[in-house]
Amino acid sequence: MVDLAYKMLVHDKFRFFITVAGVAFAVTLIMVQVGLFIGILDNATVTIEHLDADLWVTSRNTPNLDFVHDFPETRIDRIRELPDVDKADNLILAFMNVALPSGATETAVIYALEDFERWGFPWNVVEGRVRDLRRGPYVFFDESAAKRFGPFSVGDYREVQGQRLQIIGKTREAKSFTTTPLGFMDYDRVQRLAPDILRGKTSYVLVKLRPGADVARAKARIASILPYNDVYTKADWAARSRSYWVVNTGIGFNMFLTVFLGCLVGVVVVAQTLYTSTMEHIKEFGTVKAIGGSNADIYAILARQATVSAVVGFILGAVPSVLLRPLVAKADLKLIIRPELAGVVFVGTVVLCLASSMISFRKVASIDPGLVFRG
Amino acid sequence: MSVLFATDVHKSFREGKETVEVLRGVSIEIDAGEVVALEGPSGSGKTTFLSILGCILTPTSGRVVVDGQEVDAKKPSLLPQIRKKSIGFVFQQFNLFPALTAVENVEYALNIKGTRGKDAKTQAEEAIVAVGLGDRRKYLPRDLSGGQKQRVAIARALVARPVVLLADEPTANLDSQGGMQILELFRALAKKDGRGLLIVTHDPKVRSVSDRVIRIADGLIAA
Repeated sequence: MVDLAYKMLVHDKFRFFITVAGVAFAVTLIMVQVGLFIGILDNATVTIEHLDADLWVTSRNTPNLDFVHDFPETRIDRIRELPDVDKADNLILAFMNVALPSGATETAVIYALEDFERWGFPWNVVEGRVRDLRRGPYVFFDESAAKRFGPFSVGDYREVQGQRLQIIGKTREAKSFTTTPLGFMDYDRVQRLAPDILRGKTSYVLVKLRPGADVARAKARIASILPYNDVYTKADWAARSRSYWVVNTGIGFNMFLTVFLGCLVGVVVVAQTLYTSTMEHIKEFGTVKAIGGSNADIYAILARQATVSAVVGFILGAVPSVLLRPLVAKADLKLIIRPELAGVVFVGTVVLCLASSMISFRKVASIDPGLVFRG
Repeated sequence: MSVLFATDVHKSFREGKETVEVLRGVSIEIDAGEVVALEGPSGSGKTTFLSILGCILTPTSGRVVVDGQEVDAKKPSLLPQIRKKSIGFVFQQFNLFPALTAVENVEYALNIKGTRGKDAKTQAEEAIVAVGLGDRRKYLPRDLSGGQKQRVAIARALVARPVVLLADEPTANLDSQGGMQILELFRALAKKDGRGLLIVTHDPKVRSVSDRVIRIADGLIAA
């Protein structure tokens, strides 16, 4: 079968280049923007994802992971009594002041547990041993903190909440949505650093259920015995935390706008170039009709041209998006392009290009094949 | 045996508030293997008549039968089927696809008519060889002369073996010698397989290859 559609498309190389460049630009714009968006949201819940908990008990109406409201730590005892519960521990999440050698003060988000190893947390330790946190006035910081705190090494000391602590380890990729550096400290140590607000208090209770336990039932049971707390599954808590930032900061709308504009650019470029090309080849389409071609044959040509433009444009747009990742990482940002995102963008690109070709089709479908007799 | 038959064909167009009657009761009959020239001055209605015989336009009134199929003016959606099965066109401007090679232009016509794959390739190659362009079958139209382009157009018109061939001023863009060669080739190939050939023309050379000449003037067949 002669591929007239493809040959017509690539016959005019410059126009083909303009078409695929427009599609590629739109694809890059959408993939980078959405990838950065996912990267930022990933930071917002990266600790939830890595803590090995099935359920999170929070104070009532806590909007997201970072905006904690503390509650009595003794409530954990009632949770531990439940038969479905394998283990439960208090987790404190506290914003603390860190005095820097320069004399400036910065803030760090401190995660505090009695036994970090029980929860597989933190997950990417590059220096030090987490279990040593219980042995004295020690702290771990994520290496990304160097951007705010300046360079630091294991063995250095920093003043946290007015008390001198030794840095005994470093983690990697533990970040927060607000870009505030993350640190890890022993549960008791944190309470002693801020006794006025943390003594006898916790921010969350992490719950790990026994294998085979009914998660929904356990969640309902905990909710019933702790009426002044909320209980979330890991996935629900992560979703709630993400949706808070998406809805309340406007980044969700901003993202929608960017994706919309990207789609608009792609549609306009493809529709415009396909339409112009169709008009220039109108006599050829008339010939197709004159030799017996139907409107379906014509649409097959236009649809194939749109699909080829979409596929080539997608490849030319997606490859640079992926290659941009190391560059973006240097700016301390995450560009997450998952296969699902690539799949959705690909399907969207093809669908929008096909929709764009409809404008040309409407024109060609109505042409009079008699134009082939005109000089 | 008649392969194309039209009787008392009328065609009117609306131009603004006026109705212009282009054809005023034209009739024609072409037998298998017959070559007919249709002559007439500009504006006489010959291209409109050709469009109706080629099932591109429907008549306002009158009867048209192509290869035994009655053309129903009330069902224009059926016209492409008749064109596909029974009619081959040759145009004044050649109307080749610039992005396709000579042989691909012929093969694509077969594809449209339902023949695909190896059969289409083989038949297209044979048709291109039959018009004397075997050595230029992979040339794009831009690399062919006017006469060579018209040969490709003839191969395209003949390849699916339609019983009716309609040519609109096929020599208008060719020099005298090239035009004559094309006409003789066209006649020979049409006669060989017993197809009816109607050539709309201003060119007096066409008379020499035609079995019959019909003149049309002011929408009527002239005596």
